[in-house]
Amino acid sequence: MGSLLAEIEQSGVATWIREGGVLYGYPLILFLHTLGLGTLVGLSSAIDLRLLGVGQGIPLKSLEKTFVLMWAGFALNAATGSLLFVADARKHASNPAFYLKLLFVALAIVVLVLIRNRVFREQSTGKMLAAASLACWFIAMSSARLMAYISEFIS
Amino acid sequence: MSGAHLHLLLNHIPTVAFGVAVALFVAGLIKKSEDLTQAGFVAFFLNALLAIPAYVSGNAAEFILRDQPGMSASVVTAHQNAAMLGFIFMQLTGLVGWVALWRFRRWTIPVLLVLSIVTFAFMARAANIGGGIRHPEILAGDPTVSGAWPEPAAMGTALIVNYPWVWPICEIFHFVGLCMLFGVALLVNLRMLGFIEGVAFADLNWLLPWAVLGLVVNLITGMLFFLASPDQYTQNAAFGWKIGLIVVAGATLLYPIMSDEIRTLKQDARASLVARCVAAGSICLWIGVIFLGRFLPYIGSE
Repeated sequence: MGSLLAEIEQSGVATWIREGGVLYGYPLILFLHTLGLGTLVGLSSAIDLRLLGVGQGIPLKSLEKTFVLMWAGFALNAATGSLLFVADARKHASNPAFYLKLLFVALAIVVLVLIRNRVFREQSTGKMLAAASLACWFIAMSSARLMAYISEFIS
Repeated sequence: MSGAHLHLLLNHIPTVAFGVAVALFVAGLIKKSEDLTQAGFVAFFLNALLAIPAYVSGNAAEFILRDQPGMSASVVTAHQNAAMLGFIFMQLTGLVGWVALWRFRRWTIPVLLVLSIVTFAFMARAANIGGGIRHPEILAGDPTVSGAWPEPAAMGTALIVNYPWVWPICEIFHFVGLCMLFGVALLVNLRMLGFIEGVAFADLNWLLPWAVLGLVVNLITGMLFFLASPDQYTQNAAFGWKIGLIVVAGATLLYPIMSDEIRTLKQDARASLVARCVAAGSICLWIGVIFLGRFLPYIGSE
């Protein structure tokens, strides 16, 4: 496993991301990852707020179009996230905060799909789902942010 | 233009321009003119935004002047603490001004009256001490005597420097604020653009305070980052651009609550071309802020 990760890190694309230059490569991918985060988590939490009672007059049907953008944000972050992973494969693979982040991103996406299927299509209130969504995003984002500190701590 | 020039230019805003804002607001109250009072609310909010570059450019000026003969570091520190005190009250005034524009409540008037006068007094004191850095003869007492006045800038620096967990927590909340601000601003602007349809703006309007709250969270956490190592930021070109974009992008948070057209936009109505341009511009500006924030460590610093 360790040698496979090392091989990934030595691959052309991983080297390019790490050492490719200033304006493209690592910083650009990091920016796109943040843009995807802002779009996906931002819109998802705005919907959560609506489900929790802020702006109750907003018809849910009018928010359905935002799912296109949220999936686009998710696709962008899956792609950029994979690139950021291969650039430092061994470091991330040995970091428990990384797995915590993946787990809670996955849970948040499951909750988002449930919100779409149950609340938008079947008219249940979805307060619990909205609260779960906000909690999952917060934990995912916190563990992502703490990855750098934890990798320093364990190394 | 150096940081010292910039600070000389911008430092008149929290005093002179803010004085004009207070005058507009008070004149509106006396003349019972709603238009003048509203102009006062707008001016409070814009002054609060412009106070951000005014404050951070102070550290840029200090970076240039610190080694010059005759500079008293303790007067500079006293000025910085006085400025931070005024800055905090300036932000509170701007926040309440925004709320008063968003959904007018009676309580906002007395609160703004007190806050704006207190802010003006604190800013005048900061300006006076700041003037004393180069012209010690204008200082009546010794501003460097500590203990008499709160020292919020020094307290902020101590908080983030002395406790290692404060920085990571601020980072987490800087992202939380980013999501609140960007998500809600995106939603509101997408409605103005017509991408989202079938919702009256009056309903969507309830979400807007969450965007402003996100801005407040990021201003607090961002200011703590800045206080920890101001040179790292003032000597970074990307930081200056980021602050500039925040001022313009922040001002677009006024558009939907000030424009009668948007406030009364019906469920299936289309917004005007002007509104759509503002919305598109606002989205681009916030993306620009994120871009510069992300690139800050990689570009701009030598």
